[in-house]
Amino acid sequence: MNPRRKQRLLAVSGILVLLSGGVGAMLYALNENVDLFYTPSQLIEGLGEDKKKPVVGQRLRIGGMVVKGSVRRDEHSLKVSFDLVDTGPIVTVHYDGILPDLFREGQGIVAQGTLLDASTIQATEVLAKHDENYMPPEVAEAVKGIKHVAPKHTYPAGTP
Amino acid sequence: MRKAMFYVPLAAFLALSLFLLSGLFSDPRDHGSALIEKPLPDFSLPDLQQPTRLVTAADLKGEVTLLNVWGLWCPTCNAELGFLTELRQQGIRIVGLYYVQPVDASFGDTFDINTLRVEVQDKLAEQGDPYLLNIVDEKRSLIFDLGVTGAPETFLIDRNGVIRHHHVGDINPQNWPKIQQLYQQLQQGGSDAP
Amino acid sequence: MIAEVGHLALCFALALSLILALFPLYGSYKGAAGPVLLARPAALLLFLLTAVSFAALCYAFWINDFTVAYVANNSNSLLPWYYRLTAVWGSHEGSMLLWVLMLSGWTAAVALLSNSLPLILQGRILGVLGFVNVGFYAFVLLMSNPFERTLPFFPVDGRDLNPLLQDFGMIIHPPLLYMGYVGFAVSFAFAIAALLGGRFDANWARWARPWTLAAWLFLTLGIMLGSWWAYYELGWGGWWFWDPVENASLMPWLVGTALIHSLAVTEKRGTFKSWTVLLAIAAFSLSLLGAFLVRSGVLVSVHAFATDPSRGLFLLAFLLVVVGGSLLLYGLRMHAVRSQARYQLFSREVLLWGNNVFLLTATLVVFLGTLYPLFHKELGLGSISIGEPFFNSIFQYLAIPFALLLGLAPWVRWKQQQLQPLLKPLSLWLVAALVLALGVLSMYQTPAANVALLGLLLGAWVTMATIGEIQQKAAQLGGVPGLFKLQASHWGMVLGHLGFAMLVVGIAMTKTFSVEKDVRMKIGDSVELNGYTFLLSEVYALNGPNYGGQAAELEVFQHGEKVTHLHAEKRFYPVTRAVMTEAAVHARLSRDLYVALGEELSGPSWALRVYVKPYVRWIWLGAILMALGGLVSLSDKRYRRKAKTEIGEQGAQAHA
Repeated sequence: MNPRRKQRLLAVSGILVLLSGGVGAMLYALNENVDLFYTPSQLIEGLGEDKKKPVVGQRLRIGGMVVKGSVRRDEHSLKVSFDLVDTGPIVTVHYDGILPDLFREGQGIVAQGTLLDASTIQATEVLAKHDENYMPPEVAEAVKGIKHVAPKHTYPAGTP
Repeated sequence: MRKAMFYVPLAAFLALSLFLLSGLFSDPRDHGSALIEKPLPDFSLPDLQQPTRLVTAADLKGEVTLLNVWGLWCPTCNAELGFLTELRQQGIRIVGLYYVQPVDASFGDTFDINTLRVEVQDKLAEQGDPYLLNIVDEKRSLIFDLGVTGAPETFLIDRNGVIRHHHVGDINPQNWPKIQQLYQQLQQGGSDAP
Repeated sequence: MIAEVGHLALCFALALSLILALFPLYGSYKGAAGPVLLARPAALLLFLLTAVSFAALCYAFWINDFTVAYVANNSNSLLPWYYRLTAVWGSHEGSMLLWVLMLSGWTAAVALLSNSLPLILQGRILGVLGFVNVGFYAFVLLMSNPFERTLPFFPVDGRDLNPLLQDFGMIIHPPLLYMGYVGFAVSFAFAIAALLGGRFDANWARWARPWTLAAWLFLTLGIMLGSWWAYYELGWGGWWFWDPVENASLMPWLVGTALIHSLAVTEKRGTFKSWTVLLAIAAFSLSLLGAFLVRSGVLVSVHAFATDPSRGLFLLAFLLVVVGGSLLLYGLRMHAVRSQARYQLFSREVLLWGNNVFLLTATLVVFLGTLYPLFHKELGLGSISIGEPFFNSIFQYLAIPFALLLGLAPWVRWKQQQLQPLLKPLSLWLVAALVLALGVLSMYQTPAANVALLGLLLGAWVTMATIGEIQQKAAQLGGVPGLFKLQASHWGMVLGHLGFAMLVVGIAMTKTFSVEKDVRMKIGDSVELNGYTFLLSEVYALNGPNYGGQAAELEVFQHGEKVTHLHAEKRFYPVTRAVMTEAAVHARLSRDLYVALGEELSGPSWALRVYVKPYVRWIWLGAILMALGGLVSLSDKRYRRKAKTEIGEQGAQAHA
């Protein structure tokens, strides 16, 4: 092996080591930052086939419908709590901050936060989508439904 | 070896496209409702034409029925009325479940069943009326129990009041044959169906 | 009637693009001039027809023709005329029409300005562009026809434009962004033409460079505008959300930036050829991938277009043909090409290679972070989302070596560089950077702010090294007057690098020193933030042309003196049933005051979002400076040399 080749081999293997190290670190960071998505019933009953339940303190996302009459606000601050439901159990979400513009009772929302106890979540962020007939796709997927279907050909008179 | 290196981008891209392709088809609308093979949830809701009459789950039993979730606010539902009316003329039993949109005072909304009745009558007179009954779900409780997230959606219910099929999106001449097949099977199967 | 004219023009355009895809390539293959000469008029006519089609859609919006489904769904007779026109690209179908308008525009520009290229190469480039055109015209006509009628029943009034889009930023953000995306088609066509011909000389890189720069410039401005728009229109006060749609635009930008630098090496040194070609393919592929991700509904995003699997399938098939085909061609042809040039470990080549490595790593990070939820879901592991900290922390680590290299590279010569002569001047500038960074930070009296310190250091280092390099050049060229001899592309580089420094400083300072507070306030309440006192003086009902809502008036004081008056709105759009937050922003170079009005609570009191964001403007100003650098580079005489005919309009090529 001549010196030039040797140098090149060294360089290439060095790059490969760096590259694999970098990709490894990246994947590790990726896994650290994964927020699993739950619906209220998945949160209570467990997710997937092995019924895995989240642990207290875990970061996660939860999506469901805001239960009617469940929104309770603090009188003097922006603290608020509300209940979420999909098809079964109810989960309570606490939040301190401004709710999104289209936050309504009976509306599908997604909250990001940490698990306080088995059925309570402290949210850091609450998201609602802008469309009235629209359910966040993650929720739609979980409750096996679908959002409003666009018209194909006709657009009859009189609809707004 | 050096030659093979130049095909790495292609291989990576092809692997990615596989994921993209499967992502495209893992659409939520392909999945059935969680309620399939379960009896229709209990309810007691007024009929739009005769608000004093309360319709219950028992009223839908006895015959194979299509329960069609719809609303005036939903263009696809309105477009679907014509074809559904044709089906009614062929003898298909269709019951409407009217999806009342949430009333939002911020936008100056109000809900009045009498106004709605007139509006629905006008619309059905214009487009055709496929419905034997039109259940008004003002609080969206049945709609919620059924796991409906949009409109139009249609449930196929057998004689025993068990949900046998959940169709999302409009019913049109293209996709009707599939539903028709199920419908006829249920009709012929009679009440001994599991 | 007019809508049918538009539709017809689009059909003719599709036919014409087929001609453009077939004839010039055939001519180049056979070596016949005739079919190749057809390319230019075909390209020009293609643009003209598309312009007619686009004008027809604009007209339909202008006269409120609600028999056209797209108009009915995206406009309203109450909408002011300027928003009616911008509603043309407010949703999927119209934005695709805008997309093909720009694609045909770039194609026509290439046809007009490629006189200096050998005829065969012209044929190949235009043929490849024609092929790309065919795909998009077919997509528009088959999958997203904006001219579809709603007859026989048509609505009395339209559904209104999404209020999020009723805004100045939205008028120009998509066109600029699309100019960038589509512009990479030209670099792509150059790369494929070269692959077909098998020749990669310095000329090739020199021809491809200005086009790449122009596309990159538009993309930079487009992304910057999108970020600015999100900042004041979404009402969250954030300027980057790592949303899939944003990521889809960032990936081609990162690769495009790498491509600009790699092209420089290929032009100057005739090396990095296979790398440059791969980057050119990748930049356009990522633009296409972005279009696919945004329009197919594969990913969940705040502002994805309406989803439709058949559209996604078409785009995926197109992606497979274009990207798969070009990568296959790359595999078949590229291994035969070898670079001759030799260079040492410490040389500008290697440093630019380092630049590319970091930019591509960044792209990979964005790519993984964007698509990982999809992989996760498809592997049956459940729905997930990737938290912002992933992107933020990795970008933070990547920025350090990247900025260090960036300051150093312009000092280093091609081929090889002795370390010795650089040590003294560089260490001087390094000290200067340290002093500057610590000086600025000391004004904030919180030495614990590590991120800010890091950002300031890196920004100061890049700035100082860049200035130092200019000073060194001045010394070599005989004083300041000698600087006029420097090539425009050199000044472009300087501006671009200074813009990057500004961006880094802006990001670091905003991240560290922003104070954000959600508060509950009654009329007459005040809240103190970072030395500013915000007093809520009034809230009243709004009455706009197509919206209602509430407006809040606030007075801001600092040290007992009035700084400004802020007016924040919360609008209700009854037709689309949407609520919009119009934030009030008082902007200065050193800080923004930001107030957004939230919901009304019992009391009566209101939820208010009050922010003080230092240096947030620097983020966008930095991006503008980078784009300006691209513009200055474009004006370099070098790109106009060689051909003797029709050179005059070269300078305007980016705008064609």
